[in-house]
Amino acid sequence: MTGGRSGSLQWSRIAVGDELPQFDLDVTSTRIVAGAIASRDFMPAHHDSGFAIGQGAPDIFMNILTTNGYVSRFVSDWAGPETMLRSIKIRLGAPAVPGKMLRFTAHVTRTSREGDEGIVELEIRAANELGDHATGSVCLSLPLIENAPSSGQAKAEA
Amino acid sequence: MSESGPADAPDEVNVPMIRHWVDALDDRNPVYLDEEFAATTRFGGIVAPPAMLQTWTMPRPEIQGIAERGGAPGEISPDNPISILDAAGYVATLATNSELEFERYLRPGDLLQSSIVLESISDRKSTRLGPGYFLTWLTTYTDGKGEVVGRQTFRILKFDPSGLGANS
Repeated sequence: MTGGRSGSLQWSRIAVGDELPQFDLDVTSTRIVAGAIASRDFMPAHHDSGFAIGQGAPDIFMNILTTNGYVSRFVSDWAGPETMLRSIKIRLGAPAVPGKMLRFTAHVTRTSREGDEGIVELEIRAANELGDHATGSVCLSLPLIENAPSSGQAKAEA
Repeated sequence: MSESGPADAPDEVNVPMIRHWVDALDDRNPVYLDEEFAATTRFGGIVAPPAMLQTWTMPRPEIQGIAERGGAPGEISPDNPISILDAAGYVATLATNSELEFERYLRPGDLLQSSIVLESISDRKSTRLGPGYFLTWLTTYTDGKGEVVGRQTFRILKFDPSGLGANS
């Protein structure tokens, strides 16, 4: 299904019901802390287990920016580097904590055309043994390569 | 924080922070760091990972006392609805929804501002965690020209956890 421009999926070959390759993330303290600090989130619940447990959590837990970052990675690893995300809309549930593998799954719910872009809507879920960590939808666009200049020269965004 | 801002990002969108994020999340999408590759894509050059939107305008933290403030990066004003709910016993916080919308991908050199509006406070609700209120904020991110580059809707439940202990 790959082989489009820059190794991205061709929108015309994406169909409602298509499933993304499942992505299993081994959630560790290191991943949680690395994501929190890279997103400039210094809340102790994301790096200090004593603090997190004192607030009723089972351990330190992943911050929302990192969850959104992994959703973005999951989707663009599938659709390729021409992916432009339009939205990530999630409901938050069970915490993502060290030692509990987080499984990302998604399927295509709608495709449409908009000018020179193909739109893909996905239903996504990230869950661990505690339950659903994040559920919701992602909307992305891909360039319609059928209309791309034959020179293969991508046109820059204005 | 019922209405605050605009808050200026401390730094422009920049490659060192993108690299830090890419390594932390092990996200190897080449449009984030490979200038030569990115130039061949629709972006025409490197762009920041979209989920970093909030990162650019996160306030600089005051580490001293951050735990005592429940993790807030700075002092929270006493007339903030969070402070009012804390004082009324709704001391616990649970994030329930995040909706990010991206108008365009950001490039190194973009300098963002964010403006936050408290969109709604629900009626008092009974939840499985205890009685509480849902608060919804809308953050709008603009670039140096004042054009909107993205938005986030964020909802939390502020609840009274005192009933939780009674059940266990």
